[in-house]
Amino acid sequence: MSLKNHFDMLVIGSGPAGQKAAIQGAKAGKRVAMVERDKQVGGACVHHGTIPSKTLRESALNMVRFQRTSNVFDFRLRDDLTVPALIERLDEVIQAHSAFMAAQLDRNQVTRFHARAKFVSEHEVEFTTPKRTTERYSADVIVVATGSRPRRPDNVPVDHEHILDSDSILSMTYLPKTLTVLGGGVIASEYASFFALLGVQVVMIDQADRPVRFMDAEITDGFVQAFQATGGRYYGEQKIEEVKWDGLSKVMTRLGNGETLDSEKMLMALGRVANIEDLNLAAVGIEPTPRGLIPVDEFFRTTLPHVYAVGDVIGPPSLASCSMEQGRRAACHALEIDPGHPAEMVPMGIFTVPEMSSVGITEEKAVSRHGGGALVGRARFQEIARGQISGMTDGLLKLVADPQGKKLLGVHIVGEGATELVHIGQMGLLAQVEIDHFVENIFNFPTMAETYRVAALDIVKQRPR
Amino acid sequence: MPDALASVELEPVEQIHATLVDRIAKDELKLPLLPQVATEVLNLTSDPDADMAKLATLIQQDQAIAGQVLKIANSAAYAPRSPIVSMQQAVSWLGMKMLGELALTVSIENGVFRVQGYEPEITSLWRQALASGLYAKEIARQGRHNVEGAFLCGLLHTIGKPIVLQAVLEIQHSMSITLEWQAFSMLLDVHHVQVGAAAVEKWKLPPQVKEAILYYRDFTQVPNPSPVAMVTCLADCLASNILGLDLLDATTMETLPVVDALNLYPDDMDELHGQADKILQAVDAMVV
Repeated sequence: MSLKNHFDMLVIGSGPAGQKAAIQGAKAGKRVAMVERDKQVGGACVHHGTIPSKTLRESALNMVRFQRTSNVFDFRLRDDLTVPALIERLDEVIQAHSAFMAAQLDRNQVTRFHARAKFVSEHEVEFTTPKRTTERYSADVIVVATGSRPRRPDNVPVDHEHILDSDSILSMTYLPKTLTVLGGGVIASEYASFFALLGVQVVMIDQADRPVRFMDAEITDGFVQAFQATGGRYYGEQKIEEVKWDGLSKVMTRLGNGETLDSEKMLMALGRVANIEDLNLAAVGIEPTPRGLIPVDEFFRTTLPHVYAVGDVIGPPSLASCSMEQGRRAACHALEIDPGHPAEMVPMGIFTVPEMSSVGITEEKAVSRHGGGALVGRARFQEIARGQISGMTDGLLKLVADPQGKKLLGVHIVGEGATELVHIGQMGLLAQVEIDHFVENIFNFPTMAETYRVAALDIVKQRPR
Repeated sequence: MPDALASVELEPVEQIHATLVDRIAKDELKLPLLPQVATEVLNLTSDPDADMAKLATLIQQDQAIAGQVLKIANSAAYAPRSPIVSMQQAVSWLGMKMLGELALTVSIENGVFRVQGYEPEITSLWRQALASGLYAKEIARQGRHNVEGAFLCGLLHTIGKPIVLQAVLEIQHSMSITLEWQAFSMLLDVHHVQVGAAAVEKWKLPPQVKEAILYYRDFTQVPNPSPVAMVTCLADCLASNILGLDLLDATTMETLPVVDALNLYPDDMDELHGQADKILQAVDAMVV
């Protein structure tokens, strides 16, 4: 292998995880290469996931804001409203984001390749370009960050025309009248809430009794209520027997209870699978888990000590924020750089309408940990001046404390701005601040931060005397 | 013909070309009307509240179209379980969208792709249009682009060709000259984009169709990045290839700029080549 084809670090995939690994490696003065199968950098996060869906969300929210001012403006939705019109800024946003990331990689002298990559030996990777040319490169350290794609269950014939997945849902050119969303996870909940807000009759179907089960039940209840208020319906504890396009005008979903639901379009969002097929992992003896993920240790090392895996390819939490940190930490570990203390707690942010966010432990966990004595303080957005001013009255902030009502254990929020508001709680948890701090300190008024004080006061009054 | 042009000694093909340019510039080219049935089918199939019975009734209003649709519906490509004898049965077997697509296709063929004396050439253009429409759907599906609209873009991307042919025939008749097919072909190639774009604008078809026509030959010029022109461009190449109009081997095809632009890897292209038989079968079924 010539010196030209040898790198200190080779990163496979340019999503959030790969990008941060590459930048960390380059900043440490190493010769780093990154290979990406798509033309542009960014991965699914930029091209099919986070960025496009949030652009649609922004449009849906803008509409709600207009609707709130309907006493001032004569606002109504155009009958011929198209999806591209709703996300007309999308290309601009994607181009800008992708160009920014490419520039950052170039600035840090990361060598970029456009190709698919597969292992040929423990240190060697073969690149195949769309034009079928191949070349081999080697590296001391290899970071796998190939991401994931929508799962395709056998009983759901995704055709990207009537039955779509999260990669194709935004290719629709018009808003359907009805939409069935299969799944109750983050992607399903986000899209279901956006489309419901845009006036589409949405039914979410899932096996679980409530969506996004890893979140606090009171928070998801708040979300379901808001979703149903926009005309959506959550249909839980259902088994999907069969899905088919009737060839006429509707997608038919046959449930385990014998019921059949019809809709114009369907979004299939029943999980994601890791992109590992092209990697030829067998060549280097890396055995995927039964769920098709790459197993790693606490430092993100695979069974080969110089091969790391980060991001969606190793499984949950599959959040861009976590993937970035995984990429950085993997590169640090490989290059023997101190990565600092590991994040003790990761905030969960779900960009549904309304948003849901949490950090720390749930009420349920606190109760089981403290023998049923956990104290919970609540602040409803309608009680907060800023909530009233901004018209954001549907929301709840919930603080979970120890049985003495002193120590903060968790923060759970549903409502607009939840994903930002949670960071106050996150810093509080990290600094181990007591509940009293939220009562004794001054927050700007009127702001949503006041919810912390209201919820803390709620805990104070429940303290054992 | 303008005096300025008449005074210059031009070859017949140049004279016709000059007249065509002049008519296009002055907006004097006779553009055909989109067949009434096609317009109504388009409106109906894009109306989410439309019912199947309405579509069946609409198609039946034009006996020629209804007959052709039934013939296609009974062909091997659509494999009915039992012979389809009524439009209602066709709707129920093929589905509203597919039947709408068929009716639209047939009525465009009847209304635009009919030029007396040039039947083999027109049939060849028509087969290319059909194959492009069908291929466009598969390319869009593979790239997670809009599948529904891709067919119409592929089907109509060369709609300007039969219109230009009709215009050239009229002009050559008025000038008492006769061109060889090669000269016709050159004129069609030069003018079909502008004429086709004007026609679909007049017919008030979705803007993506005009974009596909205007930019399928040079997709890099599309003002706003959109995959429509790229998808149509590749559909045109693949369709020409399977119809033997422009034989490129698989390896050469992989080097086309559009393949690179759509980020298609060899296995993606293999998958598209693998659709050839299915598409040819559907084309054969639709060419009545």
